[in-house]
Amino acid sequence: MANERFKSVSVIIETRDLNKIYEGALRGQDVHALKNLNLAVNSGEIFGYLGPNGSGKTTTIKMLLGLIFPTSGSIEILGTTDIAAAKVKRNIGYLPEGAYYPDFLQGEEILRYYGRLYGLAGAELNNRIDAVLELVGMTFARKRLLRGYSKGMRQRIGLAQALISDPQILILDEPTTGLDPIARKEIRDILARLRDEGKTLLISSHELLEVELISNRVGILFDGVLQTSGTLDDLLTTREVLIEVDNVSPQSIEVIEKAGFRIEDRVHQRMKLRVPEGRSTYEALELCKNQGLTLVGVMPRRETLEELFVRVIGAAEAERRKAS
Amino acid sequence: MSTQDVVNAGGDALAARKPTGNGVFSTVADYLRGPWCIAIYTWREGIRKKTLMGFLILSLLVIFGSTFLSAFLDPSAESDMELKLIKDICVTTISIFGVLITIFISASVVPNESENKVIYTVLSKPVRRVQYLLGKFLGVQFIIIVNLALMGGLFFIALYLRQWVLPTLLLWSILLTYFEFLIISAFTFAISCAATSSVLPTIGGLFIYITGTLTEYLKDVEVRSGQSGEFFDEMIGWLAYGLRNVLPNLQHFSLKMQILDRAPNDPPTDVLIPHLMAYGLIYAVSGFIMAYLIFRRKEL
Ligand SMILES: Nc1ncnc2c1ncn2[C@@H]1O[C@H](COP(=O)(O)OP(=O)(O)OP(=O)(O)O)[C@@H](O)[C@H]1O
Ligand SMILES: [Mg+2]
Repeated sequence: MANERFKSVSVIIETRDLNKIYEGALRGQDVHALKNLNLAVNSGEIFGYLGPNGSGKTTTIKMLLGLIFPTSGSIEILGTTDIAAAKVKRNIGYLPEGAYYPDFLQGEEILRYYGRLYGLAGAELNNRIDAVLELVGMTFARKRLLRGYSKGMRQRIGLAQALISDPQILILDEPTTGLDPIARKEIRDILARLRDEGKTLLISSHELLEVELISNRVGILFDGVLQTSGTLDDLLTTREVLIEVDNVSPQSIEVIEKAGFRIEDRVHQRMKLRVPEGRSTYEALELCKNQGLTLVGVMPRRETLEELFVRVIGAAEAERRKAS
Repeated sequence: MSTQDVVNAGGDALAARKPTGNGVFSTVADYLRGPWCIAIYTWREGIRKKTLMGFLILSLLVIFGSTFLSAFLDPSAESDMELKLIKDICVTTISIFGVLITIFISASVVPNESENKVIYTVLSKPVRRVQYLLGKFLGVQFIIIVNLALMGGLFFIALYLRQWVLPTLLLWSILLTYFEFLIISAFTFAISCAATSSVLPTIGGLFIYITGTLTEYLKDVEVRSGQSGEFFDEMIGWLAYGLRNVLPNLQHFSLKMQILDRAPNDPPTDVLIPHLMAYGLIYAVSGFIMAYLIFRRKEL
């Protein structure tokens, strides 16, 4: 018991054996969108929820918010399974996939409406509206009708409404879709800042580079099954080594490639040499030395999230093919 | 920070926000705050609908045209018959356009919001589904009441300017008409909670309105169909019987004949207004409960 209480991380969102079957009009048209999902999001982290189109990310998120209901299994948020309770909802900000907001209102009126639904009022509400508009960089358009907003502006207002009550948990379904590179970076910075303030974020995304930059942990979903989840440090293997060398000649490249090392990033006489798992780095260095190349550096190479993603999804696809 | 801390932090913030004291009253006020915001929002959105505005303007034009213009063209030629005709036109206009507006708005508020996905952001806030429906339903009632008040108000003024007697009978009629609309609205709203677009609930609303005003006729059908003794006939008889008993009888709510035949400030006769209001409320509450039961576990 004492251990429980002093655990350094606590689970904010947890699903247990969550299943979702969308019932089709006819038998045989049912879609088993989630299969025994066990997901855990810890306090104070950014959890990157990844998966190809149609893998079930939005389905999961909608269930967390009580918009659709599990076929079986349970959901616990902030330690309670009564996820419709006001005390839970008050602590959640949600940005749905695709930005749809009432477009006959001004940016600030929308925030006022949503703020009121959270029970905010008066000066407190006004302060929050000012703060979130500033945070998402929309102060300049606060008096404009949403009808005249661009896609990116809608996305920002969406983020603002999710933040209006200063919630502890943020659930964002593809927050940077449709944004330009600068806006992406701004949003990413905002999300990282929120995490640093101690908030818990669940973010679904297709932008692996972005997720890699800000997430603490990721989960990869494929066909309704959580293929893997864990911290980036645990998941991204660093078993490969890169050797950077100079004074490269065409003959030396031939020799090196014949020996089974891959060559990357070649620019003029400079290049990187990848030592795959299981091969000796000394062997590669020896080879370089014999070829008369200048050694620039030796560094461990961490797999990118994209590579992990492709590897995991590839394996899952192969599995599925084998099964059928 | 542990889970409990987070929950407590939320709770503390709430406690700071909540006006203390007044036990039951403040609890009820808290509970209704969300619905109230949603109702206001629904009203603001609703009055921007072009169809609704079209109906309203058209009906006001008809009322205005038939009352003011006819008198304006040739006031001396006005006979009793003509006045009756004008009254007939206006009462019918209010009833028909009022019903159209009622059905149109009741059928569309919930499906529209699911279609454009605004509902996701609303229901993810600390708003229970029943509170959401309550808000939407209240907003719809605001719209219906204001429309009715505008149409009835114009007719009221027109009648007054013609005869220089306050047409109080008209006020009673408008009150009852509202309760009629309330019933239609509640059932259309309930159907709309099951539907994905506003087409089906619109048809359903029209069906309820039409059968509800034809209950006397249904009785007739029932009596006559029982006579031949054939199976198909009997079936129709049972259907008529079922519809007549389940559906509200909307004929009771019409004071049209009295408005046509009586002096404008006569009290309404042959109707028990409190009974009718209670009757309307019971139907409306049942309609709303149906809406909730349908919507409670609806997948959005
Ligand atoms: N309302 C629905 N009725 C039937 N099937 C659905 C419904 N919503 C989603 N699905 C199915 O469930 C599966 C998961 O869909 P979901 O929207 O959760 O995917 P996603 O991971 O969010 O995809 P994306 O990256 O494209 O947003 C898909 O096969 C989809 O076709
Ligand atoms: Mg999705």
